[in-house]
Amino acid sequence: MALIKDQQLSLSHAATPHIRFADWLDDDLVISDAVLTNGADDLACLLANANKLSVIAIEFETFADGRGFSMARMLRRDGYQGEIRAVGDVAMDRIEFMHRVGFNAFELREDQDALQALAKLGEVSVHFQPSADGKGPAYMR
Amino acid sequence: MYAYNQFDQTLVDQRVDQYRDQTRRYLAGEIPEAEFRVLRLMNGLYIQRLAPMLRVAIPYGLMKSDQLRTLAQISRTYDKGYGHFTTRQNMQFNWPTLESVPDILADLAKVQMHAIQTSGACIRNTTTDPFAGVSADEIEDTRPWCEMIRQWSTLHPEFAYLPRKFKIAVSGSSSDRAASQVHDIGLHLYHNEQGEMGFEVLVGGGLGRTPVIGKTVRKFLEPQELLSYLDAVLRVYNLNGRRDNKYKARIKILVNAVGIDAFAEMVEAEWQFTKGKDLRLPTAEIERVKGFFKPPNYLSVENAQSSLKAEMAAHPQFAKWYKQNTRDHKQPGYRIVVVALKNQLQAPGDVSHQQMDGIASLADQFSFAELRSTHDQNLVLADVAQRDLLSLWLKLTDLGMARANIGTLTDMINCPGLDFCSLANAETLILSRQINETFDDMDYQYELGEIQLKISGCINACGHHHVGHIGILGVEKGGKQVYQFTLGGSASNDASLGKTLGRSIDQDQVVVVIGQILDVYVQQRKTDETFLQTVRRIGFAPFKERVYGTHQRSAA
Repeated sequence: MALIKDQQLSLSHAATPHIRFADWLDDDLVISDAVLTNGADDLACLLANANKLSVIAIEFETFADGRGFSMARMLRRDGYQGEIRAVGDVAMDRIEFMHRVGFNAFELREDQDALQALAKLGEVSVHFQPSADGKGPAYMR
Repeated sequence: MYAYNQFDQTLVDQRVDQYRDQTRRYLAGEIPEAEFRVLRLMNGLYIQRLAPMLRVAIPYGLMKSDQLRTLAQISRTYDKGYGHFTTRQNMQFNWPTLESVPDILADLAKVQMHAIQTSGACIRNTTTDPFAGVSADEIEDTRPWCEMIRQWSTLHPEFAYLPRKFKIAVSGSSSDRAASQVHDIGLHLYHNEQGEMGFEVLVGGGLGRTPVIGKTVRKFLEPQELLSYLDAVLRVYNLNGRRDNKYKARIKILVNAVGIDAFAEMVEAEWQFTKGKDLRLPTAEIERVKGFFKPPNYLSVENAQSSLKAEMAAHPQFAKWYKQNTRDHKQPGYRIVVVALKNQLQAPGDVSHQQMDGIASLADQFSFAELRSTHDQNLVLADVAQRDLLSLWLKLTDLGMARANIGTLTDMINCPGLDFCSLANAETLILSRQINETFDDMDYQYELGEIQLKISGCINACGHHHVGHIGILGVEKGGKQVYQFTLGGSASNDASLGKTLGRSIDQDQVVVVIGQILDVYVQQRKTDETFLQTVRRIGFAPFKERVYGTHQRSAA
């Protein structure tokens, strides 16, 4: 699987986290610090536990499910520094917005060309609104 | 009006390139159909029954004459020589090819226009009062605030895949001409008891399958925090709105499910994180944007006026047009002119390329090179000196745009219906033709006074039938197109949803039934009572009796 991480192709990276956040929470024996979550999980609970996690993979079951965008934004707002990875229905036409809200890793769908996808980051180079990318709103610059 | 700087221009230009690449990859088979559908919709491109349809954004309905000339040029080059103004103050082209859309967008970008977010499950074009900044009853100009919302919502990375579309309307005068109570968010600019300017925020209004009047979620919002508060509402909606059923996905369903008080608490809780931070609008930014909307260089009253009375006496048709199609202006000596896109020959809201070019020249000549589109599908020349009215009227007459019917029965809202739209269940354009043929006596229409007739070809309610004084909804029953009537709706300050009159009516009986409804009104009204007031006073019984009582006209 092709992974883009920190704006470059990643050749060596951890596999997709397979432990679901709810299971991680329930089972004290789990020692992994990488979880898989999605919009159906309890977000307040995820935010409260984020500091114990190094990889949070947010799953897009379908590309139309936009909840993951707000989840990433809120994790970054809370100061989460670890990896936020987009998994599932992830294609090049959405990773720029994902990047802006705080995702820093993208596990691309099978049919996606990773190099072509990489070029999509920054395709629109100016932004009006503040986001997790640290740039303020247009009027503050 | 607002003018792009290098920043805006870069964004729109790069967006054109992005969409060009998406189109290329789709045509090369590299983007699956279902995925391209969402990408093209976010750029206003639908696939209709006969051809694609491109919806071009006209932010809060404001245009320069050059922009309208470009729309005319696009309709000649890529379409069939006409365009259609919608109830979101945008323009639709019904016949472009999918392949030509990137070129159309490039042409639009040259005059600071685009089609970004004119469709799709994202924040749509913000709409407002077409008389903003000029009407005599205005409290505060809404346009700078609309512009700030436009900038914040354009290509917003977090809110591009919402549960469903999201529409914001802003009103800033004592009479609501923006239908703000039937929007996902309605904003009312007003002064509170302390004399401070701010927004009342309504949420969860809307039409469609489940029509609802918006509810107040915040009584007073400090204007500097407008964007931080909108941001909080959108985040709560994005995370909690239903995604399992597209008919239950609008914010109104969420608000009704949790209750307005609980919803307000959710927003307040989220707002604590964003309030007072980088989304707080600096005074300098507010002033910068307001600077784009300064009043133009008006003539003094003495120079702006003419011998209006003598002109009206000499031209009785002009007098009628003045009374019906112009409105009070806050600047002495000036009038607001509504240009009717409701003549007998064209579908409501349709405008030919010659008319677009013509009216662009009239805007140059008489109204500081600007014009506006309205949510009831007309155009407005907002700043016309009284002395120019007669010349303007003569020229509008030549263009077939001087029909003095604003606010009357034939000034109807009409969605394109089954003739174009793939969602429609019934034709609507045939109804407007029949209505124009049947009720062609203008004196009868003046006698009836203000009547808002709104027609939708399906339950999605693009024609706003729920808030028509008379609403007509086309439905399909047993392979036949029939029409449900509602009475008593309103989108103004006294917003209300119309109620169904009774059984559906056959297509060829629609004008008959309209006539019967109007007869009841004429017989029962008291002096100076409008149609809506009469309906509210006497109730449905007399109308039902007249329409259904003696004759079986129903389609069953």
